[in-house]
Amino acid sequence: MEEKDIIIKKLSFTQRPIPIPADYRPMYKIALIVLILRLCCRAETSNLLKLHLFSWALASDKNLSKLREYVISNLNSDFSVWGIEPALNRALQLAIAENICEVVSGKNYKLTEKGFKFYEMINADSELFEKEKTFLNFIGKSKITDSNINAMSNQWTINYAKN
Amino acid sequence: MLKIRVLKIEVNTTSGLYGTEFNFSNGLNIIRGDNSTGKSSLFQSIIYGLGFEELLGGKNEKTMQSALKDQVEFPRNTLHNITQSFVYLEIENKSKEIVTIKRSVANSIRKSQLIDVYYGAMLSDKNESLESRQMWVHDAGGASDELYGFHLFLTEFLDFNLPEVVTAKGDLHKLYLQQIAPAFIIEQKTGWSDFLATMPYFGMRNTEQRVVEFLLKLDVFENEKRKQQLNSSKQNLNSRWQNLFSKFQNLAERSGGKLVGLENNPSIINIYGGIYISLIRDNKPITLSDLNEIQKTELSALEKQQIFTVGNNIPQNEEALNKLNDRLNQVSLNFELLSSEVNFDREKLKQYEKQIVTVQDDLRKNKGALKVNKMGGELPAKTAKNICPTCEQDLKDSLLPSDIKQVPMRIEDNISYLDSQMRMIRVYIEGQQKTISEKENKLKEYQAVAFEVRKQIRDLKKELIQDERLPSVIEIEKRIDLKRRVEFFNKVLESFSPLIEDLKNLSAEYGRILNSESNLPKDFFSALDRQKLATLKNNFIQLLRVFNYQSKPFDAIRISQETYLPVAQKTDAEQFYNIKFDSSASDFIRCIWAYTTALLKTSITYDTNHPRLLVFDEPKQQDMSKDSFRSFLTELSKFTEQQVILFASFENSDNSFAEATEGLTFSINKIDKLLIRPITNEC
Repeated sequence: MEEKDIIIKKLSFTQRPIPIPADYRPMYKIALIVLILRLCCRAETSNLLKLHLFSWALASDKNLSKLREYVISNLNSDFSVWGIEPALNRALQLAIAENICEVVSGKNYKLTEKGFKFYEMINADSELFEKEKTFLNFIGKSKITDSNINAMSNQWTINYAKN
Repeated sequence: MLKIRVLKIEVNTTSGLYGTEFNFSNGLNIIRGDNSTGKSSLFQSIIYGLGFEELLGGKNEKTMQSALKDQVEFPRNTLHNITQSFVYLEIENKSKEIVTIKRSVANSIRKSQLIDVYYGAMLSDKNESLESRQMWVHDAGGASDELYGFHLFLTEFLDFNLPEVVTAKGDLHKLYLQQIAPAFIIEQKTGWSDFLATMPYFGMRNTEQRVVEFLLKLDVFENEKRKQQLNSSKQNLNSRWQNLFSKFQNLAERSGGKLVGLENNPSIINIYGGIYISLIRDNKPITLSDLNEIQKTELSALEKQQIFTVGNNIPQNEEALNKLNDRLNQVSLNFELLSSEVNFDREKLKQYEKQIVTVQDDLRKNKGALKVNKMGGELPAKTAKNICPTCEQDLKDSLLPSDIKQVPMRIEDNISYLDSQMRMIRVYIEGQQKTISEKENKLKEYQAVAFEVRKQIRDLKKELIQDERLPSVIEIEKRIDLKRRVEFFNKVLESFSPLIEDLKNLSAEYGRILNSESNLPKDFFSALDRQKLATLKNNFIQLLRVFNYQSKPFDAIRISQETYLPVAQKTDAEQFYNIKFDSSASDFIRCIWAYTTALLKTSITYDTNHPRLLVFDEPKQQDMSKDSFRSFLTELSKFTEQQVILFASFENSDNSFAEATEGLTFSINKIDKLLIRPITNEC
């Protein structure tokens, strides 16, 4: 085709829906919050950073094995920093509005009775979120405590804030 | 056995609680109600409670009438908006176990796929504190998921062992409960148009036939068993064939050639000469046995020659050395070019593999999210419906900040998008693996050539510096080498022929399996099967006689051996046709009465799977004569141990009712004016 043949009179663009990772789906994140609170937190209560830690770990296999090694080494190996994602905060807001969890003493998140029911539902289907359940069960309620989290995040301030 | 004990409808409206409750007993139950009193709502509620509403031509609450989901009318012309409604159904099985089913029709937060099963008689015992379990109906997992499937539960409750049916795709799937129901529940609108007319379609073959086989517990499954046996011997042969094939291939590889004329999968082979090992000589393909013959003649020619001394050979040797050096350079260059290409390809393959892991994980998570979404139930209900629980705005099913203007795909679309992406990457990976293995083979070939050329160069060099009077080592070695090759090829040919013998056997066996597969007989009735079918036919014809059927002579009527449905012989012809074509409209209704009743009657004579329940909605169709209808009710009233539930209007007249039922034993439930009425708080 020669150049003069190409005469474009009008161009139009249609916006199509885009695919997004499941990590951005509200129901996936809410289910994850419920699983974390129920399986990994004493009194089903957790601070925000801990929720972020597990949500970050479950986002990819790389993160997962990093955290697993850290736990296996008895919290002694090199593990410094994890991601904080706004999506989790939004999911938490939705979960609170749905009365799946509630804020206690101003900074911690606690599973409500409705949240418990939701957990029972997710747990009843053994295939559903099998990988997440296996990992969170492996962590359990006592391997990573709030004070561990605080110590870890204090380490950040020492290591990174100084620079 | 399935027995309906109590049905209760509970409707909350903007002006208070409405509803109704009905008790059913053994034997004939007549539900009498004038037109538009809510008779059909009552019938549909029973179907709905059992999760069989596909018989009504749809799924979930859509199939229900507006009296249960939109507005209640009471008294006439006064409407009340419905806020919530539930259907309760108390049922009993063979071992007298009782459960109560609770399912919502109109409910803003509870999906109608959700069913609560209470273990006990909640309605008749007025016991509200029973143990219960939530189950699902119609979801993809509904029929097979052990944790939630209501129909799986119902199948076990009824002690049904549902047979597997070949689907249109060719694989096996269990019959659905909803497919069996049309044999004992006849619905008013389409139920009277044909035998088993309301059966939902699930892409299965010959379902009517399977349903009757199941209900009458026929032994014809033998046929299927034989088929399966053949399948397994086919599989066995397949693996032996592959084993043999790899032996052939092994032999070809060892002799440095490739196998021609044999496939990896079994087939019937007629000409075995077409199977051979092909090698390359002077850039042309040649069969191994031909090459061996050539080598043999070369060898005998050499053996006749006198051995040259080193001195004789110097000029040729120098020329040969130059040529070999050129060749080596060329091959090494090719090798290097190709190996860097392969490295690049491997790197690419690694990337694809990484990508597919990521996509797989995302797919898994998405599927989980979708499942939870559907499970929503009473839990994070608004988020599941994609509405923000705080501000009621559209969530767009994403956690992205709301100021991002992109519209994310719906989760279902996202899943199919990922699915197709995964398939695409799989194709890439397969292609890449193939390219790599092809290139690797080529590399090996280059290596082998380079090795061979180097050896020849070494030998030549060695000879060029030797005493000129000695005999030429190259010449001697050439002879020894050729001799070795001839011996090796002889051995290969020796082991090739027994393999061909094995192949002949396998091919013959494969032919036999295919033969017996095509010879599988269609008729596999046991003696008992024939007895049951004969009883079914006799019952059917006897009932037709009682109902005063007149369209065809009775000796021209059979039960088909293929479909188990009634067929009639054409006048002056041999063939049998569906009885529908030769029956008048009212006579065809008589056929459906007779067939449905005959199925139950036959079932109770033998050990069968029939639920021993019949439900008819308005069976008096097509201006049926009063006498016929009375004989129908008379026949039904004879089932005192079973349960028959019959909904009819009796032309809105007490006279007709009395005429039809006088002197019969039955229980009557009359709907006075309107079915759904206010419930006063008596308890």
